[in-house]
Amino acid sequence: MKGVYNYFHRDMLKWFRGKVTVVSTLIMPAAWLIFVGLTLPVTFTGNYLDFITPGILVMTVFNASMLGGSLLIFDKILGSMNKFFALPVPRESILFGKICFIICRGLLQATIILIVAILIGATILRPEQYLLTYFVLALFGILFAAIGNTIALLVGDTDSYGAVNSMISMPLFFASSALMPYNVMPGWLRPIAELNPLSYAIDAIRALMGGTIMWTSIGLLAVMSAIVLGICVMVFQRASCD
Amino acid sequence: MDAVVIKNLSKTYGNIQAVKDISLTVNNEIFGLLGPNGSGKTTTVRILTTLIPPTSGDAWICGCNIFKDSLKVRQKISYVPQEMALDVKFTGRENVLFFAKMYGISDPEDKVDAVLRVMELSSRADDMVRTYSGGMRRRLELAQALVHEPEVLFLDEPTIGLDVAARKKIWEHIKTLKKNGMTVFVTTHYMDEADQYCDRIAIIDKGTIAAIDSPKNLKAELKHNIITVRASGDFREIDIPGVSLIGKQGDYLCFMADEGRETLPRLSKYLETSGMTIHALSLHEPTLDDVFLERVGPYEESGHFNDLQFRTMLRRRS
Repeated sequence: MKGVYNYFHRDMLKWFRGKVTVVSTLIMPAAWLIFVGLTLPVTFTGNYLDFITPGILVMTVFNASMLGGSLLIFDKILGSMNKFFALPVPRESILFGKICFIICRGLLQATIILIVAILIGATILRPEQYLLTYFVLALFGILFAAIGNTIALLVGDTDSYGAVNSMISMPLFFASSALMPYNVMPGWLRPIAELNPLSYAIDAIRALMGGTIMWTSIGLLAVMSAIVLGICVMVFQRASCD
Repeated sequence: MDAVVIKNLSKTYGNIQAVKDISLTVNNEIFGLLGPNGSGKTTTVRILTTLIPPTSGDAWICGCNIFKDSLKVRQKISYVPQEMALDVKFTGRENVLFFAKMYGISDPEDKVDAVLRVMELSSRADDMVRTYSGGMRRRLELAQALVHEPEVLFLDEPTIGLDVAARKKIWEHIKTLKKNGMTVFVTTHYMDEADQYCDRIAIIDKGTIAAIDSPKNLKAELKHNIITVRASGDFREIDIPGVSLIGKQGDYLCFMADEGRETLPRLSKYLETSGMTIHALSLHEPTLDDVFLERVGPYEESGHFNDLQFRTMLRRRS
């Protein structure tokens, strides 16, 4: 655990020192919320801001998680990994430290979104609703941080990683229930959106904000996170003995 | 207990055998693994530091097996890889503190202070590493490696890319560490540094150990003088008793002679009558370069060396 925390702390400190990236990661999601939430001429709901907030929350954590894999690649390219592997802590601590950092950064961004949403007119929720929202986002973050890191370990360089990342990210976001409910989607999109793990998280948070808990979606997310995390650790262990 | 014991270690990548059946024992000393780029030095160190598993053979660090007790091995060693890797957005102190915490040191702050003082970095400890020079960065890496007082220190090409003064400083630190009881296992391709600072060296070429002894003993085995000639024109085989060509690259010719002083004028005359123009001649005692040449073979056959390296080596010896 000590190792995980130290690696986490190192990434956190490194991120804070890059001031431009901090400002950018905190402003981007707020901009999405404002430009999508307040501008689209939507007729299917009275408060589109309340509808879109869960979508933007999940999208933000999704992007933060998928981008996170590059941290591992940079540590490898810049040679830090070699030194870390010779330290007397389990090597997997590096991976878990990264995932913790990625989720923490994602949740920080989520907090900004929640605050901005309230400032521009979203409904204020009860504390336990916010708590559960964070829980779902963290679970979802584990899933995609593990996917991002697995891709990073498999492709090995930042260019290929960026390419794979953008190829996956855009379609996954638009083929989810982020922007519109299932009943107004085109017929071909609906079954895809229903299978999309982004939708599980979005629907779960949307339900939470409406006052119900979707245990099946949350359970499914938990199971998927556990499986993918297991695969990620295996890939990491294999990659660390070349 | 021996600090480092290696038994029949081999490592194969696909069909390339990077390390072939190496066996050796190292104790409180500065032990140099000397060889050209690609000779298997880094692979050996990476196996010993538990970074990669060997294909066959085994090794022990302070009695701990590199497979079975890899965590214990890592507790006893430090490894400074060839490529410098520091967090440049962190201060020197933060970089070392991170390692201190990783090693689970009980009083990390004090220990970091002490080790930075030893490495003469105290005055710059709170500056960002991006403002450090190459030599300072290397010393900071040494500080990271020394913060938990390892029993065995592995240094892979510690002076590569540094200027003369910085190199000297690094080696002085290494010497002090050894004096205080540490075992230092260092790889280098700088023969002069190995000659000057290592207690014992192993010459490694194409994954096998060609010779292992103290630099002094290795040089003593070569009872010959070395003659270096810079000459232009076509070189033909020479036929002078007691003289043999041991290296040729561009304008440079390198000979080994039994009686150097007597041979010098004869060799010069011979080369001139064979149509060559001599620009420079020099005679010197054998160095590790020559031991290397003798053990591993002429450069032109080795294929590992490039022109630039060869010239630098020749220049250093004259």
